[in-house]
Amino acid sequence: MPISKDRLGGLLLLAFCIAYAFLSQQIRLLPFQESSAFHARTMPEVLSVLGIGLSLIVIAFPGSKARVELAGHDWLKVVLFLALMSAYGLTIRPMGFIASTSLFLMIGFWMLGERRPLYLIAVAVPLVVLFWVLMTQGLDVFIEPLPTFLREGN
Amino acid sequence: MLEGIMIGLTTALSIQNLLFVMMGCLAGTFIGMLPGLGPMSAIALMIPIAATLDPSAGIILMAAVYYGAIFGGSTSSILINAPGVASTVATSFDGYPMAKSGKAGKALAIAAYSSFSGGVIAALFLLVAAPFLASVSLSFQSTDYFALMVLGLVAVAAFAGKGDMAKALLMTVIGLMLSTVGTDQTQGVPRFTLGMIDLVDGISFLLLVMATFALSEALMAILKPKDDADRLKEKEASENLGSMAVSKAEVREMAPVIGRSSVLGFLIGVLPGAGATIASFLAYGTEQRLAGPEKGKQFGKGSVRGLAAPETANNAAATGSFVPLLTLGIPGSGTTAIMLGALIGYGIQPGPRLYIDQPEIFWSVIVSMWIGNIVLLILNLPLIPYIARVLAIPSRFLLPLILFFSLIGVYFVSFNTFDIQLMVLFAIAAVILRILDFPMAPMILGFILGGMMEENLRRALLINNDSWSFLWERPLTLTILIIAALCLVAPFLTGKIREYRARAAEGTSASGD
Repeated sequence: MPISKDRLGGLLLLAFCIAYAFLSQQIRLLPFQESSAFHARTMPEVLSVLGIGLSLIVIAFPGSKARVELAGHDWLKVVLFLALMSAYGLTIRPMGFIASTSLFLMIGFWMLGERRPLYLIAVAVPLVVLFWVLMTQGLDVFIEPLPTFLREGN
Repeated sequence: MLEGIMIGLTTALSIQNLLFVMMGCLAGTFIGMLPGLGPMSAIALMIPIAATLDPSAGIILMAAVYYGAIFGGSTSSILINAPGVASTVATSFDGYPMAKSGKAGKALAIAAYSSFSGGVIAALFLLVAAPFLASVSLSFQSTDYFALMVLGLVAVAAFAGKGDMAKALLMTVIGLMLSTVGTDQTQGVPRFTLGMIDLVDGISFLLLVMATFALSEALMAILKPKDDADRLKEKEASENLGSMAVSKAEVREMAPVIGRSSVLGFLIGVLPGAGATIASFLAYGTEQRLAGPEKGKQFGKGSVRGLAAPETANNAAATGSFVPLLTLGIPGSGTTAIMLGALIGYGIQPGPRLYIDQPEIFWSVIVSMWIGNIVLLILNLPLIPYIARVLAIPSRFLLPLILFFSLIGVYFVSFNTFDIQLMVLFAIAAVILRILDFPMAPMILGFILGGMMEENLRRALLINNDSWSFLWERPLTLTILIIAALCLVAPFLTGKIREYRARAAEGTSASGD
């Protein structure tokens, strides 16, 4: 039986709330803290009960019966973009800001359909350099522009 | 008060701050115009820049971005029938038909004049209401603040609609849960850090906002790409605007609508949770009813009144939502919640003490609202034909740029690459929840208020010798909690009453037959 959007969301959040409730019991308390009316576990425990209760309400009494539509969505592209963002996070330090960001943008433009190499470079590189100049010169926020092997001291 | 206005004028009218207002209005209009990106994303994208400025300039910049984004949202509603945010949906009812009939320029001008008037009139109300409420709220205790926060969170969920209330409440609780990640403030105990040192300081609110709004909006646009017909429509709309002149008869028609909608918008904006969306729909409905049968028929077909009412009301409500933020330190909407987070980032605690301790911030925000509205009218309106070209920028360039600005905005604040990975994780969760129609704004509100709520509850219990009796013994706390309970029950009660009436009416007609 296909499941409605509300019920699926409710189930996912119920799983999150149960995990949260479990982890809330792992919070370490000193012996004298356990006897006080309010300690580090109080709020998480109250929230766990509320979260589980509300998830069950959403599952039991869904506001809408609409189903999830998977067709017509470009899932692969979204997954690839998530991977690209994650890779950007991993490369920004070793590759430096200018190379990693230019590459991130060029791959992004390419994935969304821009195939002309000149356009890819002409939009990404000047924009990244301008942004770097604005941040470092205008707002005094320094970010390493060069890859590790080109930096001074190497 | 005069002294305060002078302080505000001196601060807001400095050349540097005037430049920030102009820059904020332009940037806000630009971002707000992009379908999908609303004021929340616009402000979030500006926070990394605002963080490098002094508090007054930073807040002025963000307030300007807020107005600019609302104005930009109206522009895309009118030109391409694609409201960037819910608060400009009502604008498209009459703005888009007007644009389709070749009067796009006129529709934009009416929207700009109405927004300006709504914003300026509401800022006048704010000038009176905020200091008054600030002085009253000086007598508030931790218990009252705790109750007010409960009211704020419940109200946001209550206004989500009958079917969506449980979902909105659940998302609020998820936001509160996320706020407990990190070291416990008073006992120094790590909570939910999963042994990761990067989580010891908790989750940055900027990270959460960027991931759940800007990043997930862009990913949703990648997930559901637009077809060529839509793109062509956007390109054409941005190129042919027509005349921007508004006739005297139209001004006469608009004036009373603007007056009424400003008052309505401001009052609704002050209520926690209600915000600009409800204000704009309510103003539209009210004006349709007041217009009479003949004029009422024009609503939805390009009526001047139908365009002026929601535009005035949403700007007035945006201004009104600053009242609880500035006087109580409690945000009334998702957008003001982000601003509260930014203020806390500056080490400023909004609330009644702000009015006394840092009057320059308090007053400069109010004064900058006037300046922001003037800038929107004299700078943005003539520039609209050029700014509208943003709609013609191909999404293949725009979307990766939005992703980049969101990621780098967070990275520039923390310089921690772990944050980028965490953003990706939150973006995945946000996309899934968006597909399942779960609202994000209540989660942000819960996240921002979570820490303060826990702190106030802890303090309240300490003052009351660990007794929970303050919940019913202190009249003010009890009153606020009763209002919160009523907010929760009201949608069910009104639904039941409506059902009962419908059944009674059916019964009467059946017996009549």
